[in-house]
Parts: sequence; C-alpha cells; structure tokens
Amino acid sequence: MTSLKTYVITRVLLTIPMIFILLTLVFFVMRVLPGNPVIAMVGMKASQRYIKQLEHELRLDKPLWEQYVDYLNRLLHGDLGRSMIWGRRPVINEIMDHFPATLELTVWGFIFSVLLGLATGVVAGVKEGGKMDFAMRVYSIVVYSLFIPWFGMVLQLIFGVWLHALPVGGRINPLLTPKHITGIYVLDSMLTWNLPALSSSIRHLMLPSLTLGIVLSGIYTRLVRSSLIEVLGQDFIRACKSRGLPERSILFKHGLKNALIPILTMMGLQFALLLAGAVLTETTFSWPGIGTFLMERIEYRDFTTVQGTVVFYAIFVALISLIVDLIYAYIDPRVRY
Amino acid sequence: MKRSGISKGVLIVIVAIIIVIIAAVVLSYKQPSKQTTPTTTKPTTTPSNATQQAQKKYADVIVIGTTDKVSDLDPANAYDFFTWEVFYNTMEAPLGYIPGTTKLEKKLITNYEVSNEGKVYILHLRKDLKFADGTPCTAKDLKWSIERVARIQGDPSWFVLDFMEDVKVLDTYTLEIDLKKPVSFYPAVLAVPTYAPIPSSKYPPDKISSDNTAGGVGPYKIVKFVRDQELILETNPYYYGASPKTKTVVIKFYKDATALRLALQSGEIDVAWRTLNPSDIISLKKNSNYKVWEGAGSYIRYIVFNTKMPPLDNRLVRQALAAALDRQSIVQKVFLGTVEPLYSLVPKGMWSHKDSFKDKYGASPDLELAKKLLKKAGYSENHKLRITLWYTPSHYGSTEADVASLIKEAWEKTGLVEVTVKSAEWSTYLELTRKGQLPVTLYGWYPDYLDPDDYLYPFLHTGANRWLGNPFSNNTVDELLDKAQIETSQTKRAQLYEKVQDILADQAWIVPIFQGKLYAVSKRSVGGIVLDPMMLLRYYLIYKQVSG
Repeated sequence: MTSLKTYVITRVLLTIPMIFILLTLVFFVMRVLPGNPVIAMVGMKASQRYIKQLEHELRLDKPLWEQYVDYLNRLLHGDLGRSMIWGRRPVINEIMDHFPATLELTVWGFIFSVLLGLATGVVAGVKEGGKMDFAMRVYSIVVYSLFIPWFGMVLQLIFGVWLHALPVGGRINPLLTPKHITGIYVLDSMLTWNLPALSSSIRHLMLPSLTLGIVLSGIYTRLVRSSLIEVLGQDFIRACKSRGLPERSILFKHGLKNALIPILTMMGLQFALLLAGAVLTETTFSWPGIGTFLMERIEYRDFTTVQGTVVFYAIFVALISLIVDLIYAYIDPRVRY
Repeated sequence: MKRSGISKGVLIVIVAIIIVIIAAVVLSYKQPSKQTTPTTTKPTTTPSNATQQAQKKYADVIVIGTTDKVSDLDPANAYDFFTWEVFYNTMEAPLGYIPGTTKLEKKLITNYEVSNEGKVYILHLRKDLKFADGTPCTAKDLKWSIERVARIQGDPSWFVLDFMEDVKVLDTYTLEIDLKKPVSFYPAVLAVPTYAPIPSSKYPPDKISSDNTAGGVGPYKIVKFVRDQELILETNPYYYGASPKTKTVVIKFYKDATALRLALQSGEIDVAWRTLNPSDIISLKKNSNYKVWEGAGSYIRYIVFNTKMPPLDNRLVRQALAAALDRQSIVQKVFLGTVEPLYSLVPKGMWSHKDSFKDKYGASPDLELAKKLLKKAGYSENHKLRITLWYTPSHYGSTEADVASLIKEAWEKTGLVEVTVKSAEWSTYLELTRKGQLPVTLYGWYPDYLDPDDYLYPFLHTGANRWLGNPFSNNTVDELLDKAQIETSQTKRAQLYEKVQDILADQAWIVPIFQGKLYAVSKRSVGGIVLDPMMLLRYYLIYKQVSG
C-alpha cells in the first residue's frame, strides 16, 4: 500500500514540471509568432492611437520577461487572467462555456471507439487467419486513415440530408436547452428529467460521436486482436482447453480479461488523442467545443486565452493519464516505482 | 476473487453503455424528424382586418443559420456586420434605412432640424419609445448612450468622437447634437447602432458589457444568447411599431459554409444566411425546394500596392499591373458569377460611382498596354519585374488562394512579370501590412455608413489611410475629399468624388477587383427577405407560411 502511495505522489509531482514546461513553451511560442491580438481584433480600421492604448491596457507594451513573471505570478494565485479580445471575459469562464461540450463529445466518442474496437478486435482475434480476420484488419486500416471532415460529411449527407433522421450540426435544439447544471446537456437533461432535451441532445450527439468513435476504433481493433492472439496462445489457455472449459468462458473469462491490460494503457493515451481529433469533429459538426475555440483564439493571438486553455488541457490530460496509471497499478501489482 | 470482481464490473459497465445507446437510438427515432420545433400555429398574431380574408398562417419560429459570429453585444464596442445586424433588429438608432433602398428613414425620431450651417442637429424623439423591459426611453437616455460610447472609446467610438462636440438635452423628447464641423453625411452616421439608446439601468456606464442581452428599442428583444451556439430573439411587446410576423427568431451558428448548407438541406434551418460557398449557391438555385434571394452587396475587394517599396513606387509599374488584371476570370472561375467586376472604389449602384479604371484601362485585360508601360519602366523578357503578392487564407474565405493565383496568372501573361504568391494568417497579415512590409496585398472593405465618403476618405486621405501600410499622400485628393465632406449639394459632391476616382485610376495606388453580391437561401415557404446594400437581414420582415 505504501508503495502505491509513493507511486501516486511521484506521479502527481511529475505533472507539475510538465505543465510548467508546456506553459513556458506556449507563452514564448505565441509571442514569437508574428501578429498581435489587438490588431487582429480591431481589424484594419482602428487608429494607431487606439491600438497603442489597448496594448497598454493589456500590458503588451511591457518587456517580455515582465509579462512572463506577471503571468506566472497570477497563475500561482489560480488566476488564468482575462481574454484579450471580444469583451475580455475571464479565461476560466470561456473554458467553462466550451469545455463541457468537448467533454460530452469525447466521452461518447471514446465509448463508441472502445466498443467498436473491442467487438471487431475480438472477432478478428478469434478467427485469426480467417476471412473475418482479414475483413476486420482491412476495417481497422480503412477507418484509421479516414479523414474526419470527409467522413463526417458523408454521415451528414446520409443521415441528415437524405434520411432526415439526425441533425447535422449544433448540440441541441436551441429552444430545448436544459437548465445549466454541469453544461453537459445529456447529464443536465437527465438531472432535470427533461425528456425532449435529452432526446434532442442525444440525437445531436449521434453523428459527431459516431464519426469520432469509428475513426479512433481502428487502433483498438489492431491492439485487441494482437493482444488476444498472444494471450490465447499462452499455456494457461491451453490448460483451460484441456480441462474442457467451454469455449466462451475461455475467451471472455480468461482470454479477453488478460488481453485488456495493454488496452487500458492505450485508452489513457487515446483520450488525449481524442481531444485532438475533437477539433476536426467540432468543426465539421459546428460543435461549440473547446477545440475550435482554441483554434480560433490562436488565429487571433489571444495570448491569455490560449495559455489558459493549454494549461487547462494539460491538467486534464495529466489527470486522465494519472487515473489510468492508477487503475493500471491497482490491477497489475508489478507496476510500481 | 478480486479479479473476477473487476471483470464483472467492466461487463456491467459495457452492458449499461449498450443499453444507453440502444435507448438513445430508440428515443431518437421516436422524435419526428423535423427539427424546427413543432410550431403550434395558434393564431397569436391577432389577424388584422386587411389580412383576414387571406387567412394566412405564419410559423411562430424561424431558424436562421449563419457562419458569422457575434463580437460584443454592446453598441459601444461592436463594429462588425453580424453584430450590427442583431442591433438593427433589437436596438434602433435615430435614423435607419428603408428596406431595399439606400434612403434614410426616421426611426426613433419624428423629425430633425439642421442649423448653424450644418453644425447643429436637433432631434425630436417619438413620445412612445420604450425599452424592452417597458421603461420609457427619452432624450436623456439617448444622451447617456452617446456619451457612454465616447467614454468607453471602443472600436466604433470614432462615429461619435470624430464628429461630435457636445450633446445636450433640450427637453424630455428633444436632443441637440453640436458637431465640430459641418459633415454632409452626418444623417447616415445617425443610422449606425453606435447611436442607439440603451437603458442606463442595464449597462455599466464606463465598461464594455459584451454578453448583455438587455437591448434597446427595437422590434425584437434578446431572450437568450449562448456564444457560438445560438441567439434567440422574441418580439418586443413594448415596441412602438408594428409587431413582426414571426414571434421567435432563432439564430444558429455554424463553423463553415459546408455545415451551413447541410443544415439547410437537412431541414434544421429555414434560412441559410452568410456565407454559403459560390458553388453551393449555384447548385441550390437549381433545386426547386429552395428559394435563392439575391441582392446588391456593398462590400468591395481590391489590391493595395505599397507605394513606398520599389518597384511599386513607380507609377508606370502600377498602371501596367492595373491594365493586365483580369477581373472577368476571377469573377467567373472563382466565384462562378456570384460577384461583379469592379472598376472603382465606390461600388456600383451608389451615387457618384464612376468606372474610372474601365475608362482608363478597358473592361478586359489590355496586355499590349501593360507591356508598353513595363518596357517604358525599363523591364524586358530578360529583366523581368519581380513582385510578391500576399494574401490571407483565414479571413476572406476559402476562395482567396484562387483569387491570388488568378491575379498572378493574369500578370504573368504579359511575359514581363514574375509573381511569387505568399500567404499569412490574418493577424500576421494585418500586422505586416501596417508595418509597411508587404509589397502587394489583397484586402476587402465593408462600409460603415452608406456614403461615397466611406469608400474614398479612409483609403486616399493623408493620415486616414495609415492602416494600408503605404501612407501615400496627394494634396489634390486631400483637398477634393475635404471639400466634399462639408459640401451639402449631392450633385456637387458627386463631381468632386468623380474627380478623385479618376485620379486614383491614373495613380493606381489601389486597384479594385470586384464587388460582392448578397445571397440568402431559404425554404420555399419563407418570405420577406430583403437584401440591399445595408447587407443585413431584417428579421422583422421575415415570415414562414404554414399550410393548413
């Protein structure tokens, strides 16, 4: 137990320098890039005097090191600062407005990808060398190489334009938005027992999360397949077979369960990737999440918002990988520092 | 023991997830496929005598999709077309435009007088003005709102600061505005939302309030705003004028033109507003399920030469490039005819417009003339003119790269020019332009007020054109523009502006390329869309007929 505790503490402590390095990088990269948030925001019509005044207000006229120290100081006090453009709202509010949408999309995309990956991987692994195995391997390569905007559009055309079965953009019918509790519409509508909102938000979620899920499922297919084949070839499986255990029991109770350990690590890594994939999915489906928000703010050189969002992202991803590692350490006692 | 527990847990989770998904699918198919909330068409709009015989029924809700975004819902800082469109529907200014025209009409005022040689404006407000919360709106509120703009000094504050000297309340419904100098187009300035009265109880006096939904005096009020997602408007019960036909207007925000088109075709939105791709407009025109609405746009696109940078400081070079430009190929190949070639900075359809570039260089590219000018400037096949053309891929849509490559193609057809095309992101592009580091750039202009002054003064007057990065200055042009600003006779002003346009064509500091048109695509049942040079949708005119 003590070793598990040390492990947890080490992992948490390691996260701090990682975030610090990332933050410093982002801070300087943003400022090395040509372009300036004030001009990007006010456009070409603003006067030189007005631009100077705004730069002064935003402390952009201060030396770089001073801005950096100032920023770190604020961050230590838990203040992400204010956005530099459009109303200069607090960065944390902007993040909290957009993040639930991304989280909702990623979680569903994640679920879809794992389910699809498991199903196809098991089929391929069990029928190793057979036609189904071949088909599943082709599936994994094809979906892995799919371009999200293109694939998303195909689904939009089929389910939205031709079948009129599912909406092609947005998170919910605007007139049905549930009361804000978590910002995650599916959850909020369940909590408030708002069935029309629940149905609308799930319908809106279907296409984007399916797109994301299918594209990311390819990697699981391959991983589950190879892991399962390896496990099924081990001695204890042969022992199970010789004991006359039913095929199904061998596969699920002994085979798959052992094959899942490396997949769990993959899930943690994938979650970070999912957030990246979400940017493209969000654009395709006009999903008002944090990915497209971040892209837009990078384009406008909104320094504070980009820094804040990256820090938030980093903490989130670090947290997820920490949780995965902890689960891993719990399941597999060999993992310790 | 432990292990089997975990596996059971995992299994239970998987089963639960599958159940949820199945439930979702079932739920989603139970819902009718129509997205636009089942509009109970109870006759809420009390049928007036005139329309009673027709017994037409209008939907309560209209959903409009756009790829634009709201900047700040505060008239003291908003300075972009879409946000202004929201304002025109939710907070009126003293004056406005008659839909479909460029003529001004009185909105919040019953009358206005101009005295002291055009330096004093007396506005008489209507007596039945009320804000969306029911509180009355008087001259005091208008004064407070105008002064607030001046105090905050946001982007559009120059509409107040550049012109106004003082503002006084004469009585409850009368306001006096004193100008620094006579300005012939000041009534057009009084039509911008920067002059809209807003309630002092709802807006901070000296700070921008960017997500404020309180609004002003308009046919609609904002009931909900979720940035980048939706904006919901409802009719304002306290509005002095006729109540709009559509009770609720929902604006949905899309990330790009493709998503917008798909949303229209899947039935999620009733109107696809700005901006669809040219190819989408062409293909939707052929589809009988949709109506394509077209209108003259007032935005222009042009090439800016950096006259401080050799070889573009040479007038012959600029003239040669102006002569070789192929506007038709850009209009046809890139925009499929959805825009019009432009031969002056003042757009076609606006008074004083003159096709100066056409008169000087012809309607189509004149390669012979271009060659002659280039040779005169000292260039030959062995000693080609080398220039770099810059564009930005992130501001003027996905068509911009094609525009740049067609310009390059046209110029290189002379055989004496070698063009390198480079691009930079919007913020970088702007900054480099301002610093005067880019030789040839592509820009676009959306007007602030509908007057030729807004298409000439900011580009050509010394000092005002610093944003172009090539602050050229010409005394004759300055004189003409200054004179036109205080001249009150439109005929005389037009003559002055025509002269300026001719000088520009001769000097070719800036070369116009094309003028945009406006398009909106709607379902067949939608009516009342009016597109004009104001380039905005008047939600209060739009309706959707419901059969039955």
